[in-house]
Amino acid sequence: MTLLQVRNVTKRFGGLTAVDDVSFDVFEGTIKALIGPNGAGKSTLFNALTGFDRPDHGSVLFDGAELVGRRPRDTVRAGVARTFQNTQLFDEMTAGENVMVGRQAHQSRGFATAMLRLPVAIAEDREARDEAGRLLRLIGIEEWLDTPAADLPAGIRRLVEIARALATKPRLLLLDEPAAGLNTTETRELVQTLFRVRDTGITVGIVEHDMGLVMDVSDEIVVLDRGRKIAEGPPRMIQKDPAVIAAYLGEEADEDA
Amino acid sequence: MMRGRTLRVLAPLAALVIVAVVPLVVTDRFLLKIFTFAGINALVVTGLALLFGYAGQVSLGHAAFVGLGAYTCAFCTVRLEWPWLLAFVVSGALAAVGGLVLALPSLRLKGHYLAMATLGFGLLMTLAFVEAEPITGGVDGFGGIPFPALGPIEIREASSLYWLVWAIVGIALVAAFNVTSMRPGRAMRALHGSELGAQACGVDIVGVKVRTFVVSALLAGLAGALYASVVGFVSPSVFTLTASIAFLAMAVLGGTGSLAGPLAAAVLLTLIQYLDALIPGIPRATAQTLQSYQEDIYGLAIVLVVVFAPGGLASMWRRRARGGQAS
Repeated sequence: MTLLQVRNVTKRFGGLTAVDDVSFDVFEGTIKALIGPNGAGKSTLFNALTGFDRPDHGSVLFDGAELVGRRPRDTVRAGVARTFQNTQLFDEMTAGENVMVGRQAHQSRGFATAMLRLPVAIAEDREARDEAGRLLRLIGIEEWLDTPAADLPAGIRRLVEIARALATKPRLLLLDEPAAGLNTTETRELVQTLFRVRDTGITVGIVEHDMGLVMDVSDEIVVLDRGRKIAEGPPRMIQKDPAVIAAYLGEEADEDA
Repeated sequence: MMRGRTLRVLAPLAALVIVAVVPLVVTDRFLLKIFTFAGINALVVTGLALLFGYAGQVSLGHAAFVGLGAYTCAFCTVRLEWPWLLAFVVSGALAAVGGLVLALPSLRLKGHYLAMATLGFGLLMTLAFVEAEPITGGVDGFGGIPFPALGPIEIREASSLYWLVWAIVGIALVAAFNVTSMRPGRAMRALHGSELGAQACGVDIVGVKVRTFVVSALLAGLAGALYASVVGFVSPSVFTLTASIAFLAMAVLGGTGSLAGPLAAAVLLTLIQYLDALIPGIPRATAQTLQSYQEDIYGLAIVLVVVFAPGGLASMWRRRARGGQAS
């Protein structure tokens, strides 16, 4: 079943077309990767999918419902969670509290009930705390529960951010370069986590530079170059695709120059 | 770990006992009045602790909300002859509405528009307090405000006023503690930590900021009503930019992510103004010098904290607590 339909999405910044008429589908229960040289428009596309940026053209259907024009908060509530290329943890809060914030989207108790410590507010609090503990266990980092986020190693920060995104109970989890800044051991742990997440029935979309990781985890890959989709298919096909090879070789040649 | 938890229960209890017995020990009415003022300032600063220390928003105009509360209470009790409790509640409510009207448009915009808006609002209100003479009494002020009364019981003794004010501070602190330790508090700390991250978690960032601002304006309005009733007289010279900056200095010195720190800072910076009364032996000249440099002390406090201890008093003792656990 198609969970996400991206249709003719275009985003311009001034004279630059960052994403140019891109369309693809994401099937439920799969891991789909979005790759491409620097500046290909991957993060811009991610922002357009999650309400952080509004595309100039096109449509994003999530389970049949239009996402374009929704605020990030409503996108989260619809079931699309995301992480960031530069982890956006709350440094003064513990890992556990960070994950608890992920429950906010589906909780409703505000100032008045909290001030009076009403049972409904306490119940929501307990639910969030239990969920945070469960998710950190699922990802295998429960020993960091009470550590302030500022004191966490880079690899753990990535995983806490994933746990926090999972706390929003997403059907689609979008990860923006989750392996950036990780060593090989941490990357291997991340791969295990991604499989574990997919096995719970959550569809995963991933923007990543680490080709090894992308080839290992993804069922399908979309390749962007200068805003345009130049290839789409399973990893083996993408590895042999002449347009993809040219795009990446071109980038390397540019870097050498 | 155990020691930290015991301390967390014992420290507020000890503070409660100390605050409660002050009028039994201190009989001097002027001194009691100073401690009462400390409580009124603590009420304002508790609201600012939520706004600045938890939600990370700056207000440069909170004295205007205090003034709004004070004049509302004066007008309602004297001109309208309302019962005090009703006037007190209406004073807080009106300040809260003022906060809402100010925060809603300025918080929808990104950046420091709230700080700018509060600065402008503060200056405007100072002018309004002077110019709206039929209501406020203009530069001459507004006198003859009755003491607080709970039903038929009038509260006029210095010790009773002290207890009334600090009881309200206590209630506000408990409510604020509940807010900070539950869902809204996590939302506030989250948007302080990373707005992008908070949005990705589904936090309604504008909504949380606006609500926090309204609560802080409400507390400032209630503090203003208490001030008017305790002093019996209000004049526009009290609710100025200088006062707003003093409140902000207390919140900044007190530190982020804490209620105890700003409380301590509010009491401390209030008492500094009355050093000559607190320490009888102090030479008059020294006290006067200190008083004339009061605004500079506030400014200096902000600068020193921002440069050397960005987390304020609260983070200094948090760091000590963490260090103690490690050793």
